[in-house]
Amino acid sequence: MTAATTVGLTGITKKYHGTTALDAIDLSFEPGITGLLGPNGAGKTTLLRIIATVLSPDAGKVRLLGRTPATPDELAQVRRRLGYQPQEMGFPRAFTGFGFVDYMAVLKEWTARAARHDEVRRVLDLVDLGDVATKRVRNLSGGQRRRIALAQAMLGDPDLMLLDEPTTGVDPEQRVSLRQVLSRAGERSTVLLSTHQTEDVAALCDRVVVLDQGRVRFDGAVRDLVATAAGRVWMADAPDPAARASWRTGTGSHRNVGETAPPGAELAEPTLEDAYLLLLGDRALTTEVAA
Amino acid sequence: MTTLVQHTETPDPAATHRTLRTLAGVEARRYARHPLFLTGVALMVWAMVGMAQGLASGTGDAQLLLVSDGTTVPAFFLGVLGVLVGHRLTRSMARSSEAVEASPADGVTRTAALCLACLVPGLAAVVWLAWNYVAMAIWPGPYSAAISSTNHAAMLSAGVVYAMGGPLVGVMVGRWTRFPGAGLVAAVVLVGWSLLGTFGLLMSASRVGTLVHLNAPFTTWVSSDSPAAASWVAGGSPGWYLIYVTLLCGVAASAAMLHEAWGAQRSRLVRVWAVLVGLALLALALAAASDPTRILLPRG
Repeated sequence: MTAATTVGLTGITKKYHGTTALDAIDLSFEPGITGLLGPNGAGKTTLLRIIATVLSPDAGKVRLLGRTPATPDELAQVRRRLGYQPQEMGFPRAFTGFGFVDYMAVLKEWTARAARHDEVRRVLDLVDLGDVATKRVRNLSGGQRRRIALAQAMLGDPDLMLLDEPTTGVDPEQRVSLRQVLSRAGERSTVLLSTHQTEDVAALCDRVVVLDQGRVRFDGAVRDLVATAAGRVWMADAPDPAARASWRTGTGSHRNVGETAPPGAELAEPTLEDAYLLLLGDRALTTEVAA
Repeated sequence: MTTLVQHTETPDPAATHRTLRTLAGVEARRYARHPLFLTGVALMVWAMVGMAQGLASGTGDAQLLLVSDGTTVPAFFLGVLGVLVGHRLTRSMARSSEAVEASPADGVTRTAALCLACLVPGLAAVVWLAWNYVAMAIWPGPYSAAISSTNHAAMLSAGVVYAMGGPLVGVMVGRWTRFPGAGLVAAVVLVGWSLLGTFGLLMSASRVGTLVHLNAPFTTWVSSDSPAAASWVAGGSPGWYLIYVTLLCGVAASAAMLHEAWGAQRSRLVRVWAVLVGLALLALALAAASDPTRILLPRG
């Protein structure tokens, strides 16, 4: 851990009714964008909730932004510099997009009305919602609601941003736009991005952490994870029964991810998704791909 | 773990106070725009017009109307409906709770802001109270000299407290329960408790009867032995009763804030809550211990 570390987790354990969600996790995060990958139930959301200070671990130590959030004062100090987009986020029926983000800005201690409204407009423009800000949230699409949730997390350019599946339900054009916003945020803040979208992680993240069954299965540079799949991805005319995963691509040939080359196959450039499938094996196939 | 990034900020109580003030303003605007509150205000205005017509035509009994309707109108139109408004406002952020909880404004501050927003129906009830005094000036008496102006003021002022008390109960229930119909259940319980208090009016004039009557959170002071008989004002101390219901408001507010508090703050709030409960019981005892004699109202 270095002086630039903004999140330090030591031995973090969390159980729900006897099921271990996180098992003695040791992680630290520094400025930049880190992707959190893992199948459903791997512990990603639990990890983010603990870092967001809305859930206490059963065991272990949490250090956030140089503080131990154990007292109300320390918690408030951490939360002033934290932005959190939860995985599931509902909205009060009567609120407009602007009204909701404005309410959240008040909770984040933006008490001067003019400055607060400027900031709310800024974050809504960042997520391309400036033109629908006066619409009631219930009348917005799922993707627009996700962006409202992201906008409130970006209020005040927090030093630590925790984003739980921010691009789910967002159309491709908006996803590219959000990537630009997040990449700029990652230049000065520590951004933790939990997602099922391996392409988002490949496009945005310097580092990736793969969680599975509450444990860290991989922690390193994205390119290092991709490199683990080198020589294990093949393009062939037919699916390989021995492959870990195999599917027909749009060109008519089959992409086979596995240990051995099918007859007549050619080596293909591996992607992060290939590496992820190889790392988690059947668990990734039954959860991630199905999802 | 090694040294992490160190920051030099210190806790800023002023920021908490500014946030509370701003948030209370936001919640007050939400309260003032709530359809159920607006419905209650419309019903109150309708009652004002009806009373004015009754008093102007001479068909209304001035003191009976002012003492009876003076408290029941704000109790039902602002207090009982306010239970639902307070509950809905409190629960409205539940679906965003994780993002809300990750903000620096803690649960006690957020609940305190909701409690302060309950001043909105209180202000509406103050308008009603002021109208009562205007009505007394426009359509004078006959009024019973046995009811002092102080007692009359205490009886009428209780309407303002009812208007705030109902919403505070709604906030408390919203904090402590999760099921959607809890606000309605609380409103029914509050009305039921108030109706139980009317049994005290059916009993003979006694301190026990006064205690049964005055323990209710919403009460009317006027009753009669039969529809044809003259109306009378119940015994007991309106002043101590006013203090009693005001303290009940404090009990509801502190109980609501208690749900979100932890550590030393929770211990402080538990003590405040216990003291308020003790003082409320004392005020009720003093209200009931006063002269139980009933005062006949002169016919208008």
